[in-house]
Amino acid sequence: MTTIYPARRVITMNPALPFATAVAVRDGRVLGVGTAEELALWGEHVIDDRFADKVLLPGFIEAHSHVMAGGMWELPYVGFFDRGAPDGRLWKACRNIDEVIARLIEVESAMTDPSASLVAWGLDPIYFAGERLLAKHLDRVSQSRPIFVFHASAHLATVNSALMEKAGIAEQTTTPGVARCDDGRPNGELQEPPAMLLAKAEYLIIAAAITSPEAKWNYAYEARNTGQTLITDLGTSDLSNPDVLTAWREVTDDDSYPARVMVAVSNGFGGPSDPVELAQIAVDLLAKATDKLHFGIVKLILDGSIQGFTARVEWPYYYQPPENHPGNGLWLTPPEQMAEIVSAYHDVGLTVHCHCNGDQATEVFLDAVETALEHHPRWDHRHTVQHCQMTTPAQYRRMASMGMNANIFSNHIFYWGDQHRDQTLGPERAAGMDGCATAIREGVRLSIHSDAPVTPMGHLHTAWCAVNRLTATGEVLGPEECITVEQALEAITIGAAHQLKLDHLVGSIEVGKFADFAVLEDDPTEVDPITLKDIAVWGTVVGGLPFPAGSGG
Amino acid sequence: MGSNIEVTVIGGYLGAGKTTLLNQILSSTTERLIVLVNDFGSINIDEQLIEHSDGDTMTLANGCICCTLVDGFAAALTTISDLADPPSRLVIEASGVADPASVAAYAHSPGFRLDGIITLADAETLVARAADKYVGDVVLQQLGAADLVILNKIDLLNESQREQVFEWLAANVTATVIESIQANVGLEVLFGIGPEQVVASSAKREPVGPEYETWNYTTPGPMDRAHVETLLAELPAGVVRVKGVIHFSDRPSERVVVHRVGVRLTLSVDGEWTGGDSTLVFIGLVGSRLLAD
Repeated sequence: MTTIYPARRVITMNPALPFATAVAVRDGRVLGVGTAEELALWGEHVIDDRFADKVLLPGFIEAHSHVMAGGMWELPYVGFFDRGAPDGRLWKACRNIDEVIARLIEVESAMTDPSASLVAWGLDPIYFAGERLLAKHLDRVSQSRPIFVFHASAHLATVNSALMEKAGIAEQTTTPGVARCDDGRPNGELQEPPAMLLAKAEYLIIAAAITSPEAKWNYAYEARNTGQTLITDLGTSDLSNPDVLTAWREVTDDDSYPARVMVAVSNGFGGPSDPVELAQIAVDLLAKATDKLHFGIVKLILDGSIQGFTARVEWPYYYQPPENHPGNGLWLTPPEQMAEIVSAYHDVGLTVHCHCNGDQATEVFLDAVETALEHHPRWDHRHTVQHCQMTTPAQYRRMASMGMNANIFSNHIFYWGDQHRDQTLGPERAAGMDGCATAIREGVRLSIHSDAPVTPMGHLHTAWCAVNRLTATGEVLGPEECITVEQALEAITIGAAHQLKLDHLVGSIEVGKFADFAVLEDDPTEVDPITLKDIAVWGTVVGGLPFPAGSGG
Repeated sequence: MGSNIEVTVIGGYLGAGKTTLLNQILSSTTERLIVLVNDFGSINIDEQLIEHSDGDTMTLANGCICCTLVDGFAAALTTISDLADPPSRLVIEASGVADPASVAAYAHSPGFRLDGIITLADAETLVARAADKYVGDVVLQQLGAADLVILNKIDLLNESQREQVFEWLAANVTATVIESIQANVGLEVLFGIGPEQVVASSAKREPVGPEYETWNYTTPGPMDRAHVETLLAELPAGVVRVKGVIHFSDRPSERVVVHRVGVRLTLSVDGEWTGGDSTLVFIGLVGSRLLAD
């Protein structure tokens, strides 16, 4: 059966045939691209007019995100920015402490079990001009119900007095990270996991939410609502566990699951830590791939985050670090083991994606890839620097020489750009951060990403960040690193497909590829680039099946 | 000594001897321990000693339990708290690039008490590692967090190299430093000796090792607080461990537990004084008793 979708415009991202007015779909794949009249010559068909006034692009590909993004929606949201839920509901921003409290009062009043804890997420007090949410504020919501507000950074939580009483958090508590009032009593802020773990019951509610079966569905719904048709789970599934593989198969085998998923192998959430053993698991998985569930990449992590002052950065290190900062960030993998670890995956044909926020981490990863290549020359490996936030021009040149890719964390410019300029790195290095233009200039193929749930998934917004480089306070951070709308669209489609080694299947609207489309209400190449993020998304088409935004979630 | 589980954190850069030390602890302990490691691959426990293994938890013939940290500290600490018969001591192996102080933060969870942080250092490579561009700061941080530093593989150094390392340590490390070969350090040095152990088992207790001596300080009545504080502050550098249960004359009804690991001293009130002698047990390098007396 052939369906022809006439559209206002089809933007194919295939330079050989960049634009068209209709696309024909057969058996879930693209049969042809052109005009409706040309496509009719393929024979018996139906015309489906639902996209006649829409703009079709290849389905967007989010090459760095995590399935727990879907799980957080089990819990109420209190973040600083509007955020769309998988069911299409728009959670309005909480712009100050009063709005956070008002949201919590609303949620609390709807709760039926008086002893149940209220756990909320997404709080980002970095924008509250120095004011901190404390127990005294949360006590206005309830004096009896335990309340736990998880911060967006995932490093902090604020709890109320009822919770502290229940959990025994008191003046004599010695756990580091229990913040205090001037008189020595805990003020309700729990910093870092050892302190947050004192509120164990509530901490476990979050752990349960992010691993629930609904998380996988909500994750795909959230993707669909903003135009993604292929999402990744970059290192948060333990694929050595057959049950985890079965769970992924169950959802992706369902025709109504609106996304393809690439799941990376890693040992961050369980499983063997021996890279050779893990590489074998990854290789064995290749035979288990389906049209909607893909394997072949490995996720490694070298350092922490820049905003948390835990990324490994080169001299002159951090700009305005907090008091008692040790001087540089954390290694999550010993640098001297990297070459051996990378080689274990490289030698058997896998693609290594390594989290490198700081430039020192990038350097260690590039050294490791170079060693792996010296011992085992291999073409087209597409090893990818993930986040790639401080990668220098010299490093991009090395990456180009070695055939490496970059996946750049462009959302950081908007969400933390002001902090990077004023606190973490200072103006010069902040201006060069997430430098898409440098990557392109030096010949490195790239994608851009959200790292959901760290920032909200939505590739029009991510593209908007890379194109405009506006911070949350509206300043342009490093105008020289702005890229064009066309370059950004390439990054979120074929660029992402390339680094996942799926560019023969997805990433452009091309004969033979999967019929995966982002369906937009406006043409991103014609709108003012400053409004790119405001283009409404109708939904997606995955394997020829239309999935309107906001439905079924 | 109270019902809290005593926590010892073992840190140190890759290759410093953490695994050797852990294996040694597990094979020689008479105390039932629970050990948290990053993964079992690193500890290579003799198969014959393993009584039961279910992936994340392993029970040994001597009653010790090993758990991996793959599911994080929340899961591991929950597993331990849920044990029907929890061991009295928890030993946590920090990863080779971790700051042991941040691992030790978990020892402040309810039901646990931080006994000490022990950082191993490879005598042969320490000075070079500490100057390494990528990991120098990590190595210094690990040493800075330590209450006790075990300078391991000391047999690989000649006398002038040994002097150089000690010169470097004197300039860069404040913790008490003890030397070892193949991480061979007596358990009493690592964990201390409680007065009840002295009373219960002094007859059959194994010697600490040729280079260490142990002695007690016992007095029938309450002790003078200022005197004890001075005594503990002015101990010679060779004293690596003090443990004790005492009461002070200014608050004689309080039972005070004394822990001194390296130079870090903790005095904690633990219930009411129920009578008996005030006792302090010292472990130090041979010769330090003479200085202390």
